[in-house]
Amino acid sequence: MDAKYLALVQMAVGGGVMGMAYALVAYGFQLTYAAGKAVNFGQGELVMLGAFAGITLSGIGLPYWAVVPGAMVVGALLGWFIERVAVRLALKQRNEGWILLTIIVGLFALSSVENIWGREDRPFPVPWPAEALDFFGISFTWSELAIVVGALGMMTLVELAKRYTMAGIAVQAVSADPDAAELCGIRSQSAISLSWAVSGAAAAFAGTVIGPVTTVGPTMAAALTLKAFSVAVVAGLDSGFGLVIAGVALGAAENLSGYALGSGWREAPGLILLILALALRPQGVFGKKIIRKV
Amino acid sequence: MFAAIDLGLRENTAERIVRIALFIGLAALPGLWHGQYALGLLTLMAVYGVLLIGLDATVGYLGQVNLAQAALFGLGAYGSALAVQAGAPLPLALLAGIAAAVLPGAALAIPALRLEGPQFALSTLSFATLSVIFLNESESLTHGALGLSIVRPSLFTLSLDARSFYWLCLVVLFIAWWASQTMLKSRFGLSIEALRDSPTATDALGIGTLRHKALAFAWGSSLAGLAGGLHAMNFGYLQPAAFGYDLMVMLLLGVVFGGRRSQWGAFAGAAVVAMLPNLLSNRTLFFGLVCFGCMLTLVSPIRALITRRVPSFREVAPAGAMAVAFGLAFMAANLEEWRKGIFALFLFAAVVGLPDGLAGAFAITLQKIIRFKPDPLPPATGGISSMEMSVGSALIASNLSKSFGGVRAVDNVSLEIGKGETLGLIGPNGSGKTTFINLISGLYVPDGGSVEIAGKRSAPGSLMSASAAGGARTFQNLQPFSGLSALESILVCQGDGGKSEAMGLLRAVGLEDKARLRCSDMSYGDLRFLEIARALATKPRLLMLDEPAAGMSKPDIVRLVTLIASIKKAGLSILLIEHHQDVVAELCDRVAVMDGGRLIALGTPDKVRHDPKVIEAYLGTEDVEALVKCEMEPKLC
Repeated sequence: MDAKYLALVQMAVGGGVMGMAYALVAYGFQLTYAAGKAVNFGQGELVMLGAFAGITLSGIGLPYWAVVPGAMVVGALLGWFIERVAVRLALKQRNEGWILLTIIVGLFALSSVENIWGREDRPFPVPWPAEALDFFGISFTWSELAIVVGALGMMTLVELAKRYTMAGIAVQAVSADPDAAELCGIRSQSAISLSWAVSGAAAAFAGTVIGPVTTVGPTMAAALTLKAFSVAVVAGLDSGFGLVIAGVALGAAENLSGYALGSGWREAPGLILLILALALRPQGVFGKKIIRKV
Repeated sequence: MFAAIDLGLRENTAERIVRIALFIGLAALPGLWHGQYALGLLTLMAVYGVLLIGLDATVGYLGQVNLAQAALFGLGAYGSALAVQAGAPLPLALLAGIAAAVLPGAALAIPALRLEGPQFALSTLSFATLSVIFLNESESLTHGALGLSIVRPSLFTLSLDARSFYWLCLVVLFIAWWASQTMLKSRFGLSIEALRDSPTATDALGIGTLRHKALAFAWGSSLAGLAGGLHAMNFGYLQPAAFGYDLMVMLLLGVVFGGRRSQWGAFAGAAVVAMLPNLLSNRTLFFGLVCFGCMLTLVSPIRALITRRVPSFREVAPAGAMAVAFGLAFMAANLEEWRKGIFALFLFAAVVGLPDGLAGAFAITLQKIIRFKPDPLPPATGGISSMEMSVGSALIASNLSKSFGGVRAVDNVSLEIGKGETLGLIGPNGSGKTTFINLISGLYVPDGGSVEIAGKRSAPGSLMSASAAGGARTFQNLQPFSGLSALESILVCQGDGGKSEAMGLLRAVGLEDKARLRCSDMSYGDLRFLEIARALATKPRLLMLDEPAAGMSKPDIVRLVTLIASIKKAGLSILLIEHHQDVVAELCDRVAVMDGGRLIALGTPDKVRHDPKVIEAYLGTEDVEALVKCEMEPKLC
């Protein structure tokens, strides 16, 4: 194969892998949006906190297989906490205060991280070797493989749980109509809390798989929120696995445009596409069309 | 509790007096309080004031979370700085700043204003990120991350020192404040309030949702550009990174902290954002502030505990946030490092505890203490008797069809309503009546067929076009303008005509004595009448009433029938969807019956009532006698 062509493919694949990570974070948006029509504008900070929790847990000597679930538990608790303090009241009052309150909680989290863990980027310790695998001339690190497997695995697991467990079905009922669900004896509030906890766990898990590739620091949060949010909205907030396609496309586009236009511009085409996609299909590329009823 | 002080002043007048006093005080400050540093802060506050008043136009009045204001501010700053470098005089440089913000803002507005909520927030966030990338990477123009330096130009022949530049900023702030306030209190402002509550209704009543949104956004963007120009001249040095995510969050939170939908709130927010870094560098001042915050937030949970009630989240959470801030004040080695965190804590307390912001809370307290003289209401004139007559057929709908997925909600329906005719449209639930009205009024795009209202073809799927042709409708599920009073709801729908005509319409629907009442405080039945008055205010040629009697009490229905009869008498053509058959029989000249999306009968009420197809549609295929038997002897069925 032509070397230049191969280099492009390599770049697209590298970008696509990061795109899978965006999709995983975006999946967290989808979960909370389904349950309570709200998303966490501080989801990036949650990913960062998950990664730092992982670093601290391995710092005290826990093995990797215990670090990841540990970080997920921290993430779940934080997700639950955010729903409690920042979202519940605003949703009850049916206003958009949750956008502001989640930004505020994220801001506090960022400030805490800067002061507790410091502003420097840190590596995330992993048990596998650092060298790359070769797959038909395209190289792949174990950490990148972990992102792909982790993202797909996590999303599949949650989707299965949503369909085949009582709690999952209850969450779906609440997302269709919270009042009707309540009349059927489902505690809507618990279902919403549960989805925020799962969303938080997914974000923390994303932190543990992204961390080894990008290193972990306070600057990762804002960029991740924007990208994951772009993926979620472009795909549609109810698009299911449409996220993965949108995520991979955005990641690959980013890397390729960074190559073609210079690294400073790498995010620009994705953002322009995002605004256009929103203008043409506000409900998302894979979203369901909304019919206005009066 | 205690008697309020009666000032005998109108609220507007009182506000104006206090505002002018504030500006005189601000202008006098540099004379009393010397020091270059303080002057710099005051100038920054004035610049942020202009910026936040602009941001409030979208965040407050439109109710959309706009994350692009910091970027527009940056674009304005660079635009003016480049104009100054090219040798432009000061006023021209400020204009260049406005243009540099408004033009890209318009490019963003065209796609973004069709979006709502999180989608709007995201598109503005993307725009902001793009702008910073642009400023960073266009090095030939902006010198990228190195920054751009300029020398402050003189105002005509007057060279401006720091103090006179501060006065210039104050003048600009005063004008921006006054202009925003005037604009947002006018009919334009009412329209914006209305479209925030129901964009569908504002379009259906011909107010124009998109147009008003675009204007409000443009106004906000131009203030951002103006503030950017002042900022560039104030500092003389610009860097793209200064206009990024951090500033944007600060600005947004500043507006919310100060209080949305209020120029006072925007100004208070600007003062907080400008002064904040200073409050933190002075430890004693910070301690004082935290202690004050703690005491303030502890009042409501303690009050709850005294009355032996478990305090609610809203009462406890601000105190919790302040307690954390108190802890930080003791524990943190360097408070400056915790700047964002402390700001977040204060904001959290303010957003949860004071949902209307500082200005809102202050205004509510003030209204309890001082009683202002209300604006006088003009006497009612006009009313229903002076309606315009329609020319020719009021409605010609030909071969209208609409499917949702596999369901043919409306299937090839043609219907004509004559001049001055009242046509009833009935049918079982789900027969397609509301979909039919939605097609005529332009809410849905028909799959096939055409609509002609009062002789004018309306563009398919355009509420505005149907309204311009002379159609006006009410909604089965109420679409009130919750933030407006009854009188304002009418005023906003009138193309022209003054308050007394609006009062006349309110009198006609029997709401004259509720003119000042907010829609959010009105009863269900009253809102239904208000919707009819709103539709009449657009001077329609065809009035479409979608189940006006639904959920109404018996006496209200009697009132409604009288009202519709008087509208009919005035010569207006009416399309009436209704389930109460007695209402239909009493009012309608002809009745059309729909079932399963098709028109199955059309004729006088009497004829339709005995049509076997209609009976079948309502009661099913069984023999009517069998049904009667079932009712008599339920055991047999």
